[in-house]
Amino acid sequence: MSNLMSPKSPQWWKKDDVKKTFILWILCTAVIGYVGVEFHVRNLVNPASETMSSIITLMRVFTWAAAPVAGLVSAISITVLTSKRHYGDNPPAEADHEIRNSPKAAAVWIVISGLLCLFALVAGLIVLQQDNEAILDSKAIQVNVTGQQWLWNFDYENGARSEDLYLPVDKPVVFHITSVDVKHSFWVVQMGIKMDANPGYTTETAVTPNKIGVFDVRCAELCGLLHAYMQTKVHVLSQADYDAWLSAHGATEAGA
Amino acid sequence: MNKRVLAVLGTVILGAGVIAGIGTYVAAAKNDSRVLEATPAGTMVTPQGTLPHATLAISVYPDSMAGSHGDNGGAHPGYVTYGPVTNFEVPAHSVITMTVTNYDGGESLNNDYFARVRGTIDGSATLNGQRMTQISPDAVGHTFTVHGLAVGQDEFFVSVPMKAVAEEDMPEEGYTSKPNVTVFTFITGGPGEYIWNCEYPCGDGTIAKFGAAMSTMGYMSGHFTVKG
Amino acid sequence: MTTLTQQKEVAPKKSIIEKLNVFTALALGVISAIVVWRISLALLPQDSESARLFSREDKITLLSMCAWFVGFMTGIGALVGPFRWLMGKDLSHSENMFLAGENMGPKRYFRYTTDHKVVGIQYLFITILIFFLGGGLAMLIRTNLGTPEGGWLHAQAYNSVVGTHGILMIVGTIIMVTGPFGNFIMPIMIGARDMAFPRLNALSFWLIVAAAVPLIWGQFIGGITTGWSAYNPLAGQAPLGMDGYIMYICIFAISTMVAGANITTTVVKMRAKGMTWNRTPIFIYGVVASVALALPAFPVFFLSQVLSAFDRALDTSFYNTAGGGSGWLYENLFWIMGHPEVYVILIPAIAALMEMAPVFTRRPLFSFNVAVLGIAGISGLSVLVWAHHMYISGWAPLLNAPFMLTTELISIPTGMLFLVLVGTLWRGRIWMTMPLMSIMALLWNFMIGGVTGIYLSDVPADAFLHGSMYVTAHFHFTLMGAGLTGAIASLVYWFPKMTGRMFDKTLSWIAFWLVQIGFNVAFIGMFLVGLAGQPRRVESYAPTFNTANLVTTIGAYIVMIGMLVLLHGVVSSALNGVKAPKNPWQAKTLEWTVDYPIPLENFDVLPTVTTDAYGYGKAKS
Repeated sequence: MSNLMSPKSPQWWKKDDVKKTFILWILCTAVIGYVGVEFHVRNLVNPASETMSSIITLMRVFTWAAAPVAGLVSAISITVLTSKRHYGDNPPAEADHEIRNSPKAAAVWIVISGLLCLFALVAGLIVLQQDNEAILDSKAIQVNVTGQQWLWNFDYENGARSEDLYLPVDKPVVFHITSVDVKHSFWVVQMGIKMDANPGYTTETAVTPNKIGVFDVRCAELCGLLHAYMQTKVHVLSQADYDAWLSAHGATEAGA
Repeated sequence: MNKRVLAVLGTVILGAGVIAGIGTYVAAAKNDSRVLEATPAGTMVTPQGTLPHATLAISVYPDSMAGSHGDNGGAHPGYVTYGPVTNFEVPAHSVITMTVTNYDGGESLNNDYFARVRGTIDGSATLNGQRMTQISPDAVGHTFTVHGLAVGQDEFFVSVPMKAVAEEDMPEEGYTSKPNVTVFTFITGGPGEYIWNCEYPCGDGTIAKFGAAMSTMGYMSGHFTVKG
Repeated sequence: MTTLTQQKEVAPKKSIIEKLNVFTALALGVISAIVVWRISLALLPQDSESARLFSREDKITLLSMCAWFVGFMTGIGALVGPFRWLMGKDLSHSENMFLAGENMGPKRYFRYTTDHKVVGIQYLFITILIFFLGGGLAMLIRTNLGTPEGGWLHAQAYNSVVGTHGILMIVGTIIMVTGPFGNFIMPIMIGARDMAFPRLNALSFWLIVAAAVPLIWGQFIGGITTGWSAYNPLAGQAPLGMDGYIMYICIFAISTMVAGANITTTVVKMRAKGMTWNRTPIFIYGVVASVALALPAFPVFFLSQVLSAFDRALDTSFYNTAGGGSGWLYENLFWIMGHPEVYVILIPAIAALMEMAPVFTRRPLFSFNVAVLGIAGISGLSVLVWAHHMYISGWAPLLNAPFMLTTELISIPTGMLFLVLVGTLWRGRIWMTMPLMSIMALLWNFMIGGVTGIYLSDVPADAFLHGSMYVTAHFHFTLMGAGLTGAIASLVYWFPKMTGRMFDKTLSWIAFWLVQIGFNVAFIGMFLVGLAGQPRRVESYAPTFNTANLVTTIGAYIVMIGMLVLLHGVVSSALNGVKAPKNPWQAKTLEWTVDYPIPLENFDVLPTVTTDAYGYGKAKS
């Protein structure tokens, strides 16, 4: 790094170790970016909502944005480790150096990390804004979620109740989440939403499922003895199936 | 040189041994290791066809002088408890009839969702011989609620409320002579590891009444294994 | 000469100070606890049947634990000095020299000894003990998670093991650098005879010993079933073991505050003549930043637990919604401590490696000013980021965006530390030693920990990742992969100065590779299950997560073997290692100018500093 900005060596880029580091940088960036993205994308759950898809996109983007920095650190490390190494109980001769401080290198480094930081912030804010607006959707279905030691249950607008969640596909839904005892965290895994259930308060989060299927609901906040088992399923149905389920269950609860 | 290698190996084995010792000690400190297996009882005709039938009979006591805690009530004689044990094993793809005898009183649930019978055949149970689908959420003694991991094994949810013994029938000492008997029948899916717990807040003197007996294995919760 | 005559005067009447040691402390602590336990058992009224909370047992437990604490500290002699001062008769010179452990031999390690070198060794011993216990518990966790159905440990024991592992390791990592090296090395490095407040130094160590007992006690009365964060109201509901946690934290917080005040004062006031801030080694900056951060953070931690104790024992409702309190209050207090606290752990470890970087590359530290700025920037920002632990708590959704900003800003000063390290390595003369490779390991592990931190700092991504194993893997990469790596390198680096013998080179390499490889295998596997959706702190999980969990377990076992090899290295090298020369690494900081054994007051003549400690090689220009 030190010599990159040195005004006294006009042809610094022609030096062997700089060239080597540069090539390694390109390679490391590519490898880290590719492996990092694939590691995340392959292991992440399959998205069942636009929210989860945008989280996956964010992680892809962040990984590629961080890859050049990680690549540079790796490239310099490799160059250093593959240069002449000294073994033994006594130290090697001291290294003469061109520069001890490089305000320019530091400035460039800080500006770049500041820009990356700003980029991450803006990317995050855009997605955050979409999520926040979803809660205000007036056409949304409202579902009350109650967490309690060690179960979830769900109340629907027509009085139906269930211990596993039923939702129609492609329709926004707002969850009103509370707890009757200690803190829990309502996590619909494949939809990428999570919100704590606090005793005495109601919190809100929203999502639009976009896939028919069965997905997972888990508790993500240690809530005592059987926390590990505090999970259930969410069934995303077609609108017709959902209506049928809802009226059948609304009738049962009301008729008893 | 050899001696040094041996010394290092010795430290590693000794250290791992100490850790294994701590582990064995912690693992042994279970207060609920016994398992009750369901008793086979021929076959039964159900909406899903004729299936093997098995029965389980358990009770709920207002203290730990009964159940599996020994004559002196074990570590917490005052805790309410299920008994005779709290771990159950039932066959897969079978009909199970459970009989729960409740000797304890009770009051209101913190969530009336659990006042209704859920997950049994046709959603009903019998309480002292009478068919019912729910009881008043203000007169619940305990519930028997089975659930578990939702991935990699069949979904399985059964929840049945036990009616509380009336205040005037609760004796000063010993157990009531008028317990409430609830019988319910459900069908098991494939094999899996589940747990059950009580959803009536009966951990008196703790936050949300869910500490103490409710948060200690072997009293108001346990394992419910469906065996293939 | 004067010392001798004074000793003769005192000799006939043996001072109380000379009779006290760790055994009298244990005895007095146990007796006090039993006495108070019996008294409170007899006197405290029974809980009424209809009480909202049964708190009698909590009161008895907390009172007994307080009695243990007071008894132990009295028995070790912590009160002798203040008491004598109150009586207007301060300690005599010979008593002070006795307290410093002059000519006492090994006995001084079992007393309220004020010599900073003794305190440093005591800290090293207790740090190793904590890591052994905490690491052992990690093995129990990993063994239980080797199979999906769990069940080897039952749920309550498992939760307690997780919580105890967490809090032990947090305390262990907080003291792992500032304790042993901050106390033993730091005063010599700045050219001082001792710490500014030697008795406070002894106090800070013995407080940690006093704190350990309630924690162990708690294991036998229900355990710490809430995880290390002990969120309320769950902690209010938890069994009596929670009182052990509360006492442990309160006493430890006092220890940290005392140590923080002491170390900060020492560095500000007692640097050698000529050691301006520009000539002060970077390690000193790291230690001071760490303890100075702890100064605002730990009183809050202390307070949060006192309120928790009130809720449990006196039926107040600070955190209980039913009585008008809020669990969010606890979360805020906890994380106002909790986020500075991770930098309390990280900064001194990274600073130690920055101190070693010039030594093992034989060139000056690159951009000293940027290093200082980085440390200062992290310290400053770290008190403004706590609510990123609460993005999804529902407490204040409007604050998510500003906290996302402050959190992401921390990556800038963190990047500066990377710049300093790679800048120092660049074109250095690489001396292949275990500390040098630890710098490489730090760059790698901290890079992974840092980049995954960016995903977690992002509110939408955190909505998926929060509370999953991904978070667990992330903070292990930072605290263990970066922090502990730095601490182990420090141990090998300063071992010759602390024991007079070299750390066995072969063993240090074997331990290094086992720990680093095992660590990466274990926690990359843990990232994987987090992405697949496994929550934290679960005793059993869906079979789909089994393979990656098994990989993590195997990795953890490899780490254990590596750590035990390291432990063997510590013991065998301290006993039979090669005798070390005065300055085996040819380093230029002051601690390498003193002989082993280091004299009681370190320097015959206090050194004068005329340059910084990084004057390796010549400038080419």
